[in-house]
Amino acid sequence: MHEEICSVGVDIGTSTTQLIFSRLTIENRASSYTAPRIQIVKKEVVHRSGIYFTPLRSGTEIDAEAVKEIVRKEYAAAGIRPADVRTGAVIITGETARKQNANEVLEALASLAGDFVVATAGPDLESVLSARGAGADRLSEEARTAVANLDVGGGTTNIAVFDKGKLAGVCCLDIGGRLIRVEHGRIAYVYHKIEALARAHGIALRAGDAADVEMLRRVCGLMADQLAQALSRRPPDGQHAGLYTNGGKPLPEAARARAVTYSGGVADCIYTPPEGDVFRYGDVGVLLGQAIRGNADLGGLRLFRPAETIRATVVGAGTHTTEVSGSTIHYARGRLPVKNVPVLRVSEEDEAAPETLRDAIRRQMPMYQPEGRIEQVAIAFSGRSYTSFAAIQKLAAAVTDGAAESIAGGNPLILVVEADIGKVLGNALNVRLDFRKDVICIDGIRTQDGDYVDIGAPVADGHVVPVVVKTLIFNS
Amino acid sequence: MRVLDEATLTRIIEQVVAELAQDERPPEKPAPTPAARTEPAAPDIRMPETAGEAGCLPDITEIDIREQYLVEQPEHGEAYADLKRNAPCRLGIGKAGARYKTLPQLEFRAAHSAAQDAVFSDVDEAFIASQGVFLVQSQCDSKDTYLTRPDLGRRLSKAAADTIRERCRAHPTVQIYVSDGLSSAAVSANIPDLLPALLQGLQNYKIDVGTPFFVRYGRVGVMDEVSELLGAEVTCVLIGERPGLITAESMSAYIAYRATVGMPEARRTVLSNIHRSGTNPAEAGAHIADIIKLMLEKKASGTDLKL
Repeated sequence: MHEEICSVGVDIGTSTTQLIFSRLTIENRASSYTAPRIQIVKKEVVHRSGIYFTPLRSGTEIDAEAVKEIVRKEYAAAGIRPADVRTGAVIITGETARKQNANEVLEALASLAGDFVVATAGPDLESVLSARGAGADRLSEEARTAVANLDVGGGTTNIAVFDKGKLAGVCCLDIGGRLIRVEHGRIAYVYHKIEALARAHGIALRAGDAADVEMLRRVCGLMADQLAQALSRRPPDGQHAGLYTNGGKPLPEAARARAVTYSGGVADCIYTPPEGDVFRYGDVGVLLGQAIRGNADLGGLRLFRPAETIRATVVGAGTHTTEVSGSTIHYARGRLPVKNVPVLRVSEEDEAAPETLRDAIRRQMPMYQPEGRIEQVAIAFSGRSYTSFAAIQKLAAAVTDGAAESIAGGNPLILVVEADIGKVLGNALNVRLDFRKDVICIDGIRTQDGDYVDIGAPVADGHVVPVVVKTLIFNS
Repeated sequence: MRVLDEATLTRIIEQVVAELAQDERPPEKPAPTPAARTEPAAPDIRMPETAGEAGCLPDITEIDIREQYLVEQPEHGEAYADLKRNAPCRLGIGKAGARYKTLPQLEFRAAHSAAQDAVFSDVDEAFIASQGVFLVQSQCDSKDTYLTRPDLGRRLSKAAADTIRERCRAHPTVQIYVSDGLSSAAVSANIPDLLPALLQGLQNYKIDVGTPFFVRYGRVGVMDEVSELLGAEVTCVLIGERPGLITAESMSAYIAYRATVGMPEARRTVLSNIHRSGTNPAEAGAHIADIIKLMLEKKASGTDLKL
């Protein structure tokens, strides 16, 4: 068994918009005498778009039509039809995600970019995707250390720390190359948080003033200092807490990086300091790159080269969002794919006993039924303590009792569990519901409260389904 | 051969004892303390006196060998221990000179004993009854015959054939039965989850199932005779696998479409490695139901059936 699926990634960032196509190879890694174990064994980027400036209609609106045009052109250039694309992600990142019509753009693109492409955004997810695209996860595993990837873009710096291959923490700061823009030797724009940061250090930054290289170099030095604080290389000062995007949180205490990779548009200026006009991009990206390079606190970290720099996020979105489910699962024919299904997560404590699991589903269900309307929901739990046949029957009863109201509606009953019990639990539910209900019960997938899930049409002779778990919330 | 005189012998013994005493002196420099995780709370194996009557010996078969890493002063201990978690293999267990350490040696012997017990013990009759199956026997009259005469283990006894004919529904779509094979431990460990999950899986597809039973001293080949006897379209035996040193509880399902006595072995489809650390028995039961469904659709099994 060997199958290839085409995945697309579109990243609409503060300064640039990019697109990649990648090929995910899935194979059965088990011998023919044992239950199948189908996995993604290879991820390969097959087409990289040019790097476009993100088209904006105004300071607060993305030009949706122009973005669509870029995507359409790149499909043609790659020779790929939307129908060929089985999975992937469109992601609106950084400052752009705060634009008024971000949602509208996502919707416009989701319909254009193939049948099973999802719209997803949010600074936490972006941090993870860019770090994976940069290869920080792999580097941390190979070097047995904790690697922070700093994706330094136009509007934000997304940080994710991977410790020996596992995600240890994420954060996002309003530090970026285009937060100060320079035109014709004058400062054209200053983001208010950067203006405040400079002011706190006695530097007055005003749009319209002459762009003094030495002064802007000092401001970029202050920004680099903030990044060092974010990685706990020095104690946080009075301005630090305010610089997290959307009032977000710093990295958790345990996520202490020992090495670092840089990605994003500014990264190239860090690894290979460019010569010539420092304002050639109309912003302070080059100066910020130099400041990060020269920062003594950050210099104490081991420096790795990332697999991708400016394309890290789009590569992450295109190749690292899709997982495959466990290989023995249950689903009703013809009910897949399903998209944007909110996850009702039963907590570990609640799933300890069938009664508390049932009550937890009952208690949480109204939140997924706006004004009493029954809408599609995916019930999720680990299922680790339910492995015997008898326990699985009790589990099925708890689910059907807990979700009785929702089951009475027309949507299929969807369960997303972690333990390898998807098929037997699906059968138990099916029998219990007297075959009168379409049941989709997949395993091998980890979710959190507040996630949304997309479940694709089956692949690999119907053994597995591609799954994308995402956070649709812009301001997480 | 030269015979040693008593004096020479005494001298040699004294010399060896002296060398041993020297070996037992504490090393000049204390060895660096190994990382905590590399030394699991090692059971004190010299314990008979220290454990006393009130104490109890730790059960070394409870040790998860995936988590066991015993190399002292390793270069990359943590990375090795992480790798080891992927498979239950007897690697990274240290050594004493050229030999095993005492604990791994005892674990090895315990695993070997469990394997032998699995082969030589019988499945409890009360257990068989509790699973809703009746008991019949192959042409073997004892475990010894079973182990020495594989040909007899492939045939039903006359009484067994009569009982099956009398108590089982003829011409079922699927005939399922259970057999001890080479591991009785596999039967008691897996059947309570595997059999009902398989039956529920078939019920889920609305596939008709015959009357299940248990064959003592049975080898895989019995299924051919069962298939002919009852005229089943698909026959499936859940049978204990030859035990290994990782688990003695592994079970296989052998499944064939229209099995006949003397057919090529390649006509059997097998799903092996069913046990709690392999394919979980309940999920395996559901999966076997899928294989059977496909087999009925394609009217083929073994190498003729692409899974």
